Amino acid sequence: MKVTIKEWNAVATWHWDIPEDEVCGICRVQFDGTCPTCKFPGDDCALVQGRCNHAFHMHCLMTWIDLETSKGLCPMCRQKFEWKDKE
Amino acid sequence: MASNRMRRIGKEIADIHADAHSQIKAEPFGNQDDVTHLRGSFPGPPGTPYEGGTYNIDIKIPTDYPFRPPTMKFETKVWHPNVSSQTGAICLDTLSTAWSPVLTIKSALLSLQSLLSTPEPKDPQDAEVANMLLKSPKEFERVARDWAVVYAGAPASADNGSGSSIDDTRQGAGEDSLAKYDGYNKNLIDRFSSMGFDVDRVVAAFRHVGVERRGGQDYELEENSMGEIAARLLGE
Repeated sequence: MKVTIKEWNAVATWHWDIPEDEVCGICRVQFDGTCPTCKFPGDDCALVQGRCNHAFHMHCLMTWIDLETSKGLCPMCRQKFEWKDKE
Repeated sequence: MASNRMRRIGKEIADIHADAHSQIKAEPFGNQDDVTHLRGSFPGPPGTPYEGGTYNIDIKIPTDYPFRPPTMKFETKVWHPNVSSQTGAICLDTLSTAWSPVLTIKSALLSLQSLLSTPEPKDPQDAEVANMLLKSPKEFERVARDWAVVYAGAPASADNGSGSSIDDTRQGAGEDSLAKYDGYNKNLIDRFSSMGFDVDRVVAAFRHVGVERRGGQDYELEENSMGEIAARLLGE
């Protein structure tokens, strides 16, 4: 029997390359979800990871870093938060 | 922003409920729908004068929580150098400059519990208490214990027994001073006078509240009377 494919739809899922059940320490929402100010996960609501390897929703971390009281420190380990360079 | 805060507080309260082991509690203070004003509580740490007591904390959550720390103060009176004995205000860096948004209401309550076991008299919130701890640690411990019994519901334990035996020797020295007690049991009065109030004032407060003399017997006062006496002594 010969089958002719007339049409097909690709479906894919994605998740960030970190353990699935981890939550952002700031908003306590899963990393695959959005920060509280966003509606759609993914590129619009990206994650950041510091050199200290601690990750957060970028929007959550920026709200913190913008505050003077943060002194630019990572909320987890209180080291200076520096962007981790992509390998 | 506001709903963000609500969502996180909701999760935190659920998390505290789920953990029965730590014996830490947090509930809305009054209105059940208002999660921005909570009452937390934790048991006094073992091996301290606060053991057996329950400490209530008034918690207010600011609009920009978790980026700013919750405002916490002791609702239960406590004799501790880093807590105001008058207002309950707390001196703890994690609740001010060292706050981080990954900290939670539960972690803050745990920090307070551990603050009770590690008093830091060199950075006092209450100078009088801090001085007492530095100059006469025994007396500090006794007052802290008495306050735990009177305000935090700690059981009057064996420590108090040894305290009263000291009082007994003093009693032998001056029998006539017993007249000041006006027929009340000495230990009963001393539990209050040991907090630094004059015996005369304590006796007057007892009379005002109408505490029974019971023929000079020592007995356990009702919580209500204790509160009224304390309030009278503190001029509230």
